[in-house]
Parts: sequence; structure tokens; C-alpha cells
Amino acid sequence: MDFDFFAGMFAQLLMGLPLTLNLGILALLGGFSLALALNLMRATRIGNAVASAYVFVFRGTPLLIQIFMIYYGLAGFGFVRQSFFWPFLREPYWCGLLALILNDAAYTSEILRGGLRSVPKGAVEAGRVSGMTRFTVLRRITLPIAIRQALPAYSNEVISILKSTALVSTITLMEVTGIARAAVSETWRAVEIFLCAAVIYLALSLLVTRLSAWVERRLSPWQFGVTP
Amino acid sequence: MSLPSTALSIAGLHKSFGSNEVLRGIDLSARDGDVISLIGASGSGKSTLLRCIPMLEIPDAGTVTVGEDNLSPEGGRLTRGQESVARRMRGHLGFVFQNFNLWPHRTVLQNVVEAPLFVQKRPRAEAEEEATALLEKVGLAEKRDAWPAHLSGGQQQRVAIARALAQRPRAILFDEPTSALDPELVGEVLKVIRALADEGRTMLIVTHEMGFAREVSSQVVFLHQGLIEEAGTPEQLFGNPSSERCRAFLSGHFDRNR
Ligand SMILES: Nc1ncnc2c1ncn2[C@@H]1O[C@H](COP(=O)(O)OP(=O)(O)O)[C@@H](O)[C@H]1O
Ligand SMILES: [Mg+2]
Repeated sequence: MDFDFFAGMFAQLLMGLPLTLNLGILALLGGFSLALALNLMRATRIGNAVASAYVFVFRGTPLLIQIFMIYYGLAGFGFVRQSFFWPFLREPYWCGLLALILNDAAYTSEILRGGLRSVPKGAVEAGRVSGMTRFTVLRRITLPIAIRQALPAYSNEVISILKSTALVSTITLMEVTGIARAAVSETWRAVEIFLCAAVIYLALSLLVTRLSAWVERRLSPWQFGVTP
Repeated sequence: MSLPSTALSIAGLHKSFGSNEVLRGIDLSARDGDVISLIGASGSGKSTLLRCIPMLEIPDAGTVTVGEDNLSPEGGRLTRGQESVARRMRGHLGFVFQNFNLWPHRTVLQNVVEAPLFVQKRPRAEAEEEATALLEKVGLAEKRDAWPAHLSGGQQQRVAIARALAQRPRAILFDEPTSALDPELVGEVLKVIRALADEGRTMLIVTHEMGFAREVSSQVVFLHQGLIEEAGTPEQLFGNPSSERCRAFLSGHFDRNR
């Protein structure tokens, strides 16, 4: 084992970590906002159809193809090149981030929808019958229960998006995987280098798992036999 | 001495679900201190009737009065103004569901203080003190910090009763409060409701517990296919029902329980 090589490689790959985290966190924030909007849209019939079609398309196609379509495909449209967004859509960073946001929104909107649907009808009725306004029911009953229910599935989505950021290395972004690929083409020590990259992703996943277990325990103590 | 005043009343109540006409003109009223039992076959509209009072179901026609407030919704929906009257009416009613419907993410005490704090905006110290006393009354003082999921059905229903009482309601509505319980847990809940009757609480109780209804009610109402087929004192209705349908329903019931 060549420890110096490993240590050097880690140091090099960690330079890509800020970009990986930047993409992951912004994709989650953007995706969650869009997912919330998609769920609110579902109140109307047309909105519901649009949201369903959106989810169908973005869950039904590979993220890699979504990235390519945005990065290589959009430039093919004249109006995109004329538009205000072109300075952004020309940049691989913004294309990659946009693809991640759109993809994350599709999955997150389904997770959120599942959470909302799992709220017992009786709990909502008990709120209404005690004289609460619709807003108070939402704030005190529906959302707290929905978010608690959605949390385990959502933590999977967080891990999934953090790993998915690796795909934007295909459009020249130098996040952890991008740096690894560049290093491989220089040194041809693929196994060692990708192993180092994998360890970094594993550590991130572990962190998220721990964090979500902690939040879950705080939010739903009755499921863990914790006495308040 | 003046007569007790009317706590709640229902007049000309109609309700359909699609083409299924479930309530076909119901008139009923309860004075303060009345305990009215609603009996009838499954599907006769008892739950729908009870749920129309706090507008959990919106009647198609008719008037519901609770204390000073009344509503006569039209077209199966409430206007914005009616919605706020409905909220006020709900504030004066307690509702106990067949399936308890406690809030799973709140402890026993939090369930009981929720409406006093977040609807009635009472001071926390006062609300908690009153809630503690109510939990003591239903025999669950030591469970105040437990989660609903960790309680038996009978305990959950007793918390639900304490939660209803915490609103200081003019009347309490019970929809088959013991039907979801294991037989050995029915008694503890009936005992609590009986104590409330003894205190002079105004209650409307949908129940299949005929012995209990006979014992606590000031009036018993037999519902058949969305109409009140017969109403009277427990002695009249259980002892000598005038309606053939009521007689058949009761004999079927007592046979089944035997
Ligand atoms: N939300 C609803 N939607 C459609 N039909 C309903 C609904 N609630 C009750 N019903 C129907 O109304 C009738 C009376 O129901 P219900 O009031 O629950 O009777 P009970 O409580 O006496 O058993 C039944 O035929 C039932 O199927
Ligand atoms: Mg019923």
C-alpha cells in the first residue's frame, strides 16, 4: 500500500468537496421549494395533471440524460440563446445544478405527497371540530405529522442527490468525481483513486444517516419508546 | 325555578351523499342537562346526524343551533361568514370519535391543552392546571406525559373525553365511543361517561350499548333510514316501543347480546 499516494489523493479530492456540497445543498433547497409548489398545484385538476406529468418525466428518465439534454440540448434552440438565461445556461455549473434541482423536485414532491397522504383523516377532523381555522390545522396538525412521516424517505433522497452530483463530472465540472476522473487519466491508478472518492461519498452518507436518525428521534419520540 | 334553556337544536335537517338521501328531515333538541341516546341500525344515519351538528358534514337543508349561534347552510357548503360561525359553534361543542382521533405527535397533556391554548388562547398555566384536573377525573393523571400510541384503546378514549371537556363545551357529542374497543375496555369508558351524566352534562350519544343507554339517558331516539322513527324516555322506548321497526331492532339487539 502506498500511503503517501492515498493521502495525497484524498487531499486532492477534498478540493472538490465544496463544489459537491454546493451542488447537493442547492439542489435540495431548490428541489424542495419546487416540490412544495408541485404539491400545492395538485389542488386543481389541471395542476394535478401537470404535476403528475412532470413527476412521470423526471422520474422516468435517467438523470444523466437530463443533464445532457440541458447542457447540450438547450443550446440548439435559438430562443434559449437569445434569452436572459443564456449566460447561465451556457455554464456547465448552472446546467448541472438545474438538472439536479428538476430531478430532485420530482422525487421530493412524491415523498412530500406521501407524507401529506399519511396524515390520518381523523386527526385533521379532530382539529377542525375543536374550532381550529384551516391554517391552524395545517400548522399544528397536518404539516407536523406529514413532515415526520416523510423524513425517512427524504433522508434517502438527500443521500441520493449527494451521490448524483457525481454525474455532473460528465459536463466538465470538477467536483469530487470530476477531480478523480482527471487524476485517473493522468496516473492510470483507477482503483485507488475511485476508492478514495468512494470513501468520501460514504462518509457523507454516514453523516446524513446519523443526522436524520437524530432529527427523527427528536421529532417522533413516540416511535422510539422515548418518554418526554 | 326556570326551565333549562336549549343547548342545541336541529330543525328540518336534510343530507344526501350523491343520490343517497341519508337524513330526510330531522328535528331534535337538547336542553341543558339532557342526555340523549341515538340508536338505530347501522347505516340509518346516526353518525351523519351527529357530524352535521359541528358541520363536519354540511347539511343540504335545515338549521343547526348551538347556544346563541345558528347556521342554515345551503347547497352543501358554508360561506366564509358561516365558516367562522361554525368555528364558534364547534368551540362550544366537544366531539368524541369512535376511533379516538388523538393527535399522535402530541403527548396526552398536549392533546388536552391544544384547543384551550391554540383556539381559545387561554394562558398556559391555567390550561395545564385544568387539563391535569380533567386527566385525574378520567383516571389518567399518571399518563399525562405518555404518547397516545402507548395507551390502550380505553385509555385513549378517556383522553379524548378529557380533550373534549377541556374546551368547556355546552354539549358533548359521542359517536359510538366504545365500538372500537376490546370488550374488556368498554366498561372503563362507559363509567367515565356515566359520571359525566351524573354531573348534569349535556350529551348526545350514538351507541349500541342498550343497557347503558337505558340507564343514563333522559331521552332515547330511534333513527330509521334517515328519519326519527320513535323518541321517548328510556322506559317508554325500551319498555313498550310503539313502532314495530323499533321493537324489531331492539329485540334483534337484545337477542344478539344474549
Ligand atoms: N362521507 C360519505 N360519503 C358517502 N356516503 C356516506 C358518507 N358517510 C356516510 N355515508 C352513507 O350514509 C349512510 C349513513 O351512514 P352513517 O351516518 O355512517 O350511518 P350510521 O352511523 O347510522 O351507521 C350510509 O349508507 C353510508 O354509506
Ligand atoms: Mg356510525
